[in-house]
Amino acid sequence: MTSTTSTTPAGANPLYRWGKRSLATLGTLMAGLSLACLSTTAGAETGNANELRICAADEAPFSQRDGEGFENRIAVVVAEAMGRTPKFVYSERPGIWLVRDYLDKELCDVVMGLDKGDPRVLTTRPYYRTGYVVVTRKDLDFTLSDWNDDNLAKLTNIAVQLGSPPVEMLKAIGKFETNMNYMYSLIDFKQPRNQYVRVDPARMINEVIQGKADAAMVFASEIARYVKGSTVPLDMALLPPDTVPDSQGRTIEFVYAESIAVRKDDQALLDALNEALDKAQPQINEILQEEGIPLLELES
Amino acid sequence: MKRLVLAVVMGTTALYAHANDKLIELSKSNSNWVLPGKDYSATNYSPMDQINKENVADLRPAWTFSTGVLNGHEGTPLVVDGVMYIHTPFPNNTYAVSLDEPGRILWSHKPKQSAAARSVACCDVVNRGLGYWPGDDTTGPRILKTLLDGHVVALDAETGEEVWKVENSDYRVGSTLTIAPFVVKDLVIIGSSGAELGVRGYVTAYNVHTGEQVWRAYATGPDEDILLADNFNAHVPQYGGRGLGVSTWEGDAWKIGGGTNWGWYAYDPETNMIYFGTGNPAPWNETMRPGDNKWTMAIWGRDVDTGQARFAYQKTPHDEWDYAGVNVMMLSEQKDKDGKMRKLLTHPDRNGIIYTLDRETGELVSADKMDDTVNWVKHVDLDTGLPLRDPEFGTRMDHKATDICPGAMGYHNQGHDSYDPERQRFFLGLNHICMDWEPFMLPYRAGQFFVGATLSMYPGPKGDRQNFVGLGQVKSYDAISGEFDWEVMERFSVWGGTMATAGGLVFYGTLDGFIKARDADTGDLLWKYRLPSGVIGHPMTYEHDGVQYVAIFYGVGGWPGVGLVFDLDDPTAGLGSVGAFKNIQHYTQMGGGIMVFSLDGKSPYTEDIEFAEYPSNS
Repeated sequence: MTSTTSTTPAGANPLYRWGKRSLATLGTLMAGLSLACLSTTAGAETGNANELRICAADEAPFSQRDGEGFENRIAVVVAEAMGRTPKFVYSERPGIWLVRDYLDKELCDVVMGLDKGDPRVLTTRPYYRTGYVVVTRKDLDFTLSDWNDDNLAKLTNIAVQLGSPPVEMLKAIGKFETNMNYMYSLIDFKQPRNQYVRVDPARMINEVIQGKADAAMVFASEIARYVKGSTVPLDMALLPPDTVPDSQGRTIEFVYAESIAVRKDDQALLDALNEALDKAQPQINEILQEEGIPLLELES
Repeated sequence: MKRLVLAVVMGTTALYAHANDKLIELSKSNSNWVLPGKDYSATNYSPMDQINKENVADLRPAWTFSTGVLNGHEGTPLVVDGVMYIHTPFPNNTYAVSLDEPGRILWSHKPKQSAAARSVACCDVVNRGLGYWPGDDTTGPRILKTLLDGHVVALDAETGEEVWKVENSDYRVGSTLTIAPFVVKDLVIIGSSGAELGVRGYVTAYNVHTGEQVWRAYATGPDEDILLADNFNAHVPQYGGRGLGVSTWEGDAWKIGGGTNWGWYAYDPETNMIYFGTGNPAPWNETMRPGDNKWTMAIWGRDVDTGQARFAYQKTPHDEWDYAGVNVMMLSEQKDKDGKMRKLLTHPDRNGIIYTLDRETGELVSADKMDDTVNWVKHVDLDTGLPLRDPEFGTRMDHKATDICPGAMGYHNQGHDSYDPERQRFFLGLNHICMDWEPFMLPYRAGQFFVGATLSMYPGPKGDRQNFVGLGQVKSYDAISGEFDWEVMERFSVWGGTMATAGGLVFYGTLDGFIKARDADTGDLLWKYRLPSGVIGHPMTYEHDGVQYVAIFYGVGGWPGVGLVFDLDDPTAGLGSVGAFKNIQHYTQMGGGIMVFSLDGKSPYTEDIEFAEYPSNS
């Protein structure tokens, strides 16, 4: 079953104001282009009903082959609440390819931690909600009340994930050009045009600790454990909201609710997962708190 | 007669520069090849005819030299006063080799560099060659070289010792150096690389004595950074005037705008201008940089003493295809269509158009497609200078485009071509590569998107798309009539360029490992030799002790070789180069060295078999 849709995932709007043409282009792109989805083959294997086959990538801190990723641990808890055995199906490629190359090919049946409402899949009710944070050394004495804050002058080198909402915000406030070269240094100047390159979150926090970056602006769950584990005291605070809409009334969203995803035709599994989440939520919260993730109310 | 020219410098000390007649004199001798393009006109043309159409089939190897380095060998060696100066890819060794006792190494320079610079280079760790400064009354001659890690080094040409070393580019910000230094008077002209990563391109002149910076001109930004002469574009106001280095960008985008230059220069002592081209704007995603993006993709005429631009003409406004405009500039004097003698520069661009300009005024004389399959542009308006684009073959983030010709590698890349002033013909080594462009957008968690474009490259319509061959062409071109006397297809791109001689011959090397000689008038193949590895450099010729030699680097690599060199399988890797050139592996593997040819392989070693032997009775 293909999935081409013109709705955007709730809250997932990469909007940039100075590049108005690029904004419209991205919207058209999402509407017109296939999000690289494939038809699922009829009659493919669906696996043992006592198993929960979890599509996974080697992407700390979310998912690791030794099972210590926090999404690994949550998946185990959810499987137990369903009375199923968790089975992790690992991809050699980065996690961004899991839906297209694993879930849609029926090599496994769930993907952990996608945005609630991702149009390529069906998503459960969210099991956690958090936002992008700014991480600085405590001795920088940095606070950010809003995006006009004079304190922004303290930040030149800012560690960010390519293609993430903070990059759009930096463009809007004129701090992208002075940071672009630093940003590329984090991927060792690989060409990002047609290869997905993910910045190692541990490296980003290390850059802050060593003073090579003035700050990191990253999704909280991606770096919480590294901030927590730092011997050098660090500040971590949720980014202030973007309150200045662009010409089309849109703002950049920093807060996201994360859910478990299944194939569009897998309503039965979705229902079972939702039930399991209700049972398992207290244990899930423990795992998230142990990780050090600042948790927001699940209802927005 | 020496002329003293006062140069304006950034600091307070004045620099008295001699017109470097000595280098011009040296370049006229058949015994020398003192500049990458033979002389300041950069025509790769030799008046020697000892090797000619009748006897070229008798060319045999005379001597050979292995550089000890693999990776792609671009450019050509220099020969001055009986010594050949040989450069290599990273680690950028230099050898001075005797021509009296060919292959004997007089000195080596093996610089220490951080290996981290390798990972930053986009398209193999090539180097395009050396510069030579002939010395003056008080100072001996020097060899100038660039290092991949961004340094410029001056060596004593007699001993190979380092005289000075300066950092031109910082590889830690993604900027490397691959360009051959260009020596004019007492100045060393150096470009820049790294446009893809937001390096703001610049060209710099250094004092050959001290390595001090004399001037630096940027490709984008405010006028005072770009260094515009007071009469900039006075003859060609339609190409644009002041303030455009900022106003043709949105916001601060010019700061990361690219426009690096890593190709070739030419110089005219009468106009006192150097001529070169700037490369592509950054980032690759054209939606992120609305505007014409001046002055990326431009042909420049800059006063060599001050760096000030007297003219600039932008070939590809708001580039969408990666048609980096840094290719060879060749100077000629020809009568135009009205019979008027003109001083011209001719430049085959990545974008598939061969531009010929009046090099005194910057005015366009002709702009012809180098192959009729060029489709992104319908034609170039000679009055406005603007290309009339065909939107079907543009690249946009909301549109999958197929069959764009040329592809990103261009119909002509960094190869150094030649011009025969007797025949008044340019001999072009071309690519015949087209591409599909497929933008994609992949969402991930927390509002992240991976926005990219996949490039698939393949032979143009005249090649063999099923078998990925027919990727190259060689042509004889008349810049005045716009006609081609002859054209031939090649299995792979003719990446390195051509050399022409008065013997009526056109020489070039191929990626599948041949050096070839063709009849300059008919294009007929007259001679070829199978080299140890494919070629991405251009041939040169010199005379030594009455014998004419032809030399060429072998050593496949460069952008077409990235699949082979780095053992890559994914056809879309290397921006599609891996797919386009996947068949090179069936013809060649890596190598590195020089092969030198002469009639019957004559050399000092064949004339006297005992020459240079270790004596037996000692």
